[in-house]
Amino acid sequence: MAVGPSEFGLSATALNAWAIWILPFVAAVIIPGVAKFSKRATGGVAVAFALASAISATTLLPLALGNNEIHNQIPWISSIGLKAGILADPLAALMSNVVAWISFLIFVYSTGYMKGDKDITRFWFWMAFFVGSMQLIVLSDNFLQLFFGWEGVGLASYALVGFWYRDKKKDHVGIEGRRVLGLMDYYSPTHSGIKAFIMTKVGDIMMLAGMFLIFAFAGTFGFRELIENTNWAIAMSSQHLLIPAAVLLFGGAIGKSAQFPLNEWLLEAMTGPTSVSALIHAATMVKAGVFLVARLGPLFFALAAIGINMDQFFEVIAWVGAITAFLLATQGMVHPEIKKVLAYSTGSQIGYMMMALGVAGLSRQFVDGYTAGFFHLISHAMFKASLFMAAGSLLHIVGSRFMTDMGGLRRHIKKTYIFMWAAGLGLMGAPFITTGFWSKDAIFAAIYESGNTWALPIFALALITAVMTTFYTTRMIGMVFFGNKSKHVEEMEKEGYHIHEASPSMWIPYGILAVLTIGIGVIGLVFEHQIHHIFTEYLASTFGIKSDIGNVAMESQSVLGGFLEGVNPVALISSLSAFAIGFGLGYIFYIGRFADPVKFVNSNIFFYAIHKFFLNRWYLNALIYWGFVVAPLYFARGVYRYFENFVIEGFNLVPEKTMAGGARIMQATQTGISQSYLYVFGAGILIVVLLLLI
Amino acid sequence: MQYILLQAVFLPLLLSPVAYLLGRKSGPNASAWFSFGLLLYCTTIMIMPIFSGTYEEHYRWTQLFGEFGLLLDGLASPFAIIIYVVSTVVALFSKPYMIARITSQFEERANSQKQLISGGTTMIESSSLKNYVNNQIGAYFALFLVMAMGMLGAVLATNLIEFYVFFEVMLIPAFFMIAFWGYEAKRRVALLFFFWTHVGAVILLLGFLAVGLNVGSFNFADIKEHGIPQNILALAAVGITIGLGVKMAAFVVHIWLPHVYGAAPTPLNALSSGAMLGVGAYGFFRLLIMLLPGEYGHFALFLNLWGLATMMYGGIMALIQDDIRKLFAYSSISQMGYIIFGIGSASSLGLSGAEMMFVSHSLGKVLLFMMVGAIVLQVGTRSITKMGGLAGKMPITAVCAVIGALTIMGVPPTSGFMAEWTLFYGALQTAIQQGSTIRMVAFGLGLVATVITMAYVLWMIKRVFFGKLPENLENTKEASWYVTGPMMVLAGFTIVIGIYPDIFFNQIIPFMKGLVGV
Repeated sequence: MAVGPSEFGLSATALNAWAIWILPFVAAVIIPGVAKFSKRATGGVAVAFALASAISATTLLPLALGNNEIHNQIPWISSIGLKAGILADPLAALMSNVVAWISFLIFVYSTGYMKGDKDITRFWFWMAFFVGSMQLIVLSDNFLQLFFGWEGVGLASYALVGFWYRDKKKDHVGIEGRRVLGLMDYYSPTHSGIKAFIMTKVGDIMMLAGMFLIFAFAGTFGFRELIENTNWAIAMSSQHLLIPAAVLLFGGAIGKSAQFPLNEWLLEAMTGPTSVSALIHAATMVKAGVFLVARLGPLFFALAAIGINMDQFFEVIAWVGAITAFLLATQGMVHPEIKKVLAYSTGSQIGYMMMALGVAGLSRQFVDGYTAGFFHLISHAMFKASLFMAAGSLLHIVGSRFMTDMGGLRRHIKKTYIFMWAAGLGLMGAPFITTGFWSKDAIFAAIYESGNTWALPIFALALITAVMTTFYTTRMIGMVFFGNKSKHVEEMEKEGYHIHEASPSMWIPYGILAVLTIGIGVIGLVFEHQIHHIFTEYLASTFGIKSDIGNVAMESQSVLGGFLEGVNPVALISSLSAFAIGFGLGYIFYIGRFADPVKFVNSNIFFYAIHKFFLNRWYLNALIYWGFVVAPLYFARGVYRYFENFVIEGFNLVPEKTMAGGARIMQATQTGISQSYLYVFGAGILIVVLLLLI
Repeated sequence: MQYILLQAVFLPLLLSPVAYLLGRKSGPNASAWFSFGLLLYCTTIMIMPIFSGTYEEHYRWTQLFGEFGLLLDGLASPFAIIIYVVSTVVALFSKPYMIARITSQFEERANSQKQLISGGTTMIESSSLKNYVNNQIGAYFALFLVMAMGMLGAVLATNLIEFYVFFEVMLIPAFFMIAFWGYEAKRRVALLFFFWTHVGAVILLLGFLAVGLNVGSFNFADIKEHGIPQNILALAAVGITIGLGVKMAAFVVHIWLPHVYGAAPTPLNALSSGAMLGVGAYGFFRLLIMLLPGEYGHFALFLNLWGLATMMYGGIMALIQDDIRKLFAYSSISQMGYIIFGIGSASSLGLSGAEMMFVSHSLGKVLLFMMVGAIVLQVGTRSITKMGGLAGKMPITAVCAVIGALTIMGVPPTSGFMAEWTLFYGALQTAIQQGSTIRMVAFGLGLVATVITMAYVLWMIKRVFFGKLPENLENTKEASWYVTGPMMVLAGFTIVIGIYPDIFFNQIIPFMKGLVGV
């Protein structure tokens, strides 16, 4: 196994690796200080530190290419022998580069987007904290330290989703006054922040339980230690605790990555500033869950070598991913808010990644699905960050979050229009020229080739989801840029507002990412092979997971030649047709405008019902609120009123009243009238005498 | 280095008249800073011997009860440090709060007198107000010092009777503080408080007497050596458990606490939540686990479940409170439940977590009570529904309160996480070792309780600090440095412990390992 330049002690590279996550925290700490001198400078400081962190991350790339790793530890909780450390293996190195560079671009964008906000200091503090926490997750060498980052991103998301804490009307999401099952479908920023934090916490406690179970048997939280000695796994599986522990750990990923059934927080998270949404969806937070699965997947898969079958664990991952991908894509098709459409799409795309990682564990060629999932993570990070930033720019330009308030904008904001097409094509998976196409195709291929019993239904779900993805992306672009201008835009123009492009600090970052989506897409297959190669070696040397030497797909199946050599034909045809159908439908309704979608939906009770069902989020959100918010509060009020204030309060009242009553009786005897005393005295004497006589 | 602990314990008692006189003669500032300085001195001298391991002092006492000892070991030192640190910072925080409280009481009284006899010039009023405040605040700080002394004495005691005496000593100042400067039905609540805690103490005393008279000595060391006769083991254990349970306001015997917290002045809430309740937890370690290890083995599961019930119940009740003090009262109950849960875990890490929980809860809850104090001072209401959007007006308070809230929720990098993970891990470890399904379920439900905790804390923060600012609060200002300064110190402290828990774990974990094995 490859050993890094230094196991212990700090070499220059190790120091660099520490710096990747420490630098953003340093930025967070000094930003309040900087703000004392100049509020505007805070943005500059944050961007500078993000850049420094990104450059540090880049120094790890040669390491990843050479399949080396840095594992560096320092003492931490010495009384139980726990160490803190960083583990920069190829997986962490690639991931930390994605995180660092994407967040750097988002930071640059934010300097424009958040210009003039009076709480800018707080914004930058949490942004830096967010990125630092994410890098901590990526680079941690053990569960406990990872959990610091894990809760750190939760905390930062809470603070940033609820950033506009004054809860003004314009910062809400949802449609005011709209009700689902009697509950408002309209959320304030602070409410959404709490929702995000608590829902992810539900995942986190599962993760904690999983961590503890493993710690109880292994006595270590370290990822490397867990591979080196696998006795813990044998002991756990003999007690039937291994798969529950693994699934519990995955529970953490379900929460963070907004997978079914903890997916609902992601939509309300749109109350944050758009740059925050971009960060959450592209670089941090939701990607943390995928990363965790990527961290753990090989660890559990490698247990097959000692005869422990983890199929159930991977089946759970694959199915959760597939269900989420489908569920959220259906809702993405009908929503009128642009950020929410993007949010649905994120959840759905993360579902793809989970699907790929899950299927990886179910197939002979672990590395295929693994690569596909990670490749999709990278391409999604690029196009989704770009789309979000572009959407933020639209929000600035139009002043509304509803796509129905946009329309016909393509002539006014050409740059955003072009970039949004480019990134949008990435999300749709436009054939041959976008990263999204190649990564989605790799996922299809991995599922198709896995040979698992569930492969076919999962493949079908993935395919339907791809059609819907293409459709809603086309719909989004069509609604924003094509057709006639909406009333809202016309009114703005009437009032003398000239619709124009946002500032360069805003469009350049999403421009870069949009161009990259296409640029890397053109050489997508080469790029994918490179990742595949890195992971093949990494998995073999670190985990002992051997794979057949070969390209992404098995050569024996390859019937395609030329630049498509090695691509699975079934997967290719499927993704091509998915794109064609989705795009065609989208074109008819929203770009060509040959048919009015509203009329179409209302024409038929069936379509109307489905539309409503999707728009109401399959009623899942409302049911969660009824079951976990409204009902418990009623219960608590009932207990308070009838138990606490009656039964328990009785413990106070009984002695109090008894004593008060006793005192009153005693008091009553002190009449102060001599006759009554004499009577009682006489009666007493009489009784005594009687007693004596008897 | 002699008489260090004796100084630390008794200087506050001996010098409490000075605090009173200073208050009378020179006003609140002198009295507050004197108390602060004195407690700071005592804290410092007490912390120094900790670095060199276990430290004890012994003095002759009456023949009847045994010797008077003061012991600072791995168990006592975190309690001792936190009790005095909390007392020290709360001393400063008390000043603005108590001045405001006493002034408003003076005005109430003046108003009621005015209705009887109209007249009197403002000149006389202002000078008599000054006298009144000086007098009262002197008395307050004198009581404050005695209370601090009582709490420290209890955790350093090496003798059952000594423990009991200190245990009772801390109740007296608390009783007077509520009766003098409380709110609403303060007299009734003061009596209620005294009644309940006294009932608890008396049950405890019964247990003590049973042990002491049978063993023939009240010294912890002797009792441990000789062992307790079989016939009174169960009696003693039950007495101690119930007595301490009442003290910690565990479920079913908790009702005094919400009443007290609703009526007591906020600094007392902070002190009592941050330090006094913890003495009960300390008692469990010292009296039950150390003196009656066999009985503890039988009781552990029961304690575990009792803790679970307490944490759940407290959390659920906290969810629906509108009075911010009552919310934190129930929150304290819930947090005490965590500690009892950990005490019932019967594993070294679980016990360490329980003690760490005390440390972390103290820091977090004192922060939050200071926030309550700041809000009562600046806003003048206790009803959460009347607040909102205060983050913009009181940023430092808001930030510190959020850090306190994170500590209570157990979110890293605050000390709360370090406490919670060890505590819950310990519970799980025992569950696995014993193959006990009940414990496993309790562990799972315990984790669910952390979600409830999170819900009520975040909801409270939202309703107090976020959202729309009510119009009548437009002119709210940030609290004074007397409030924000101590808050920042504690906020920093909780984060430092959260990142580097060895400060306390280095003492706690080896001790607990020695206590119950690995």
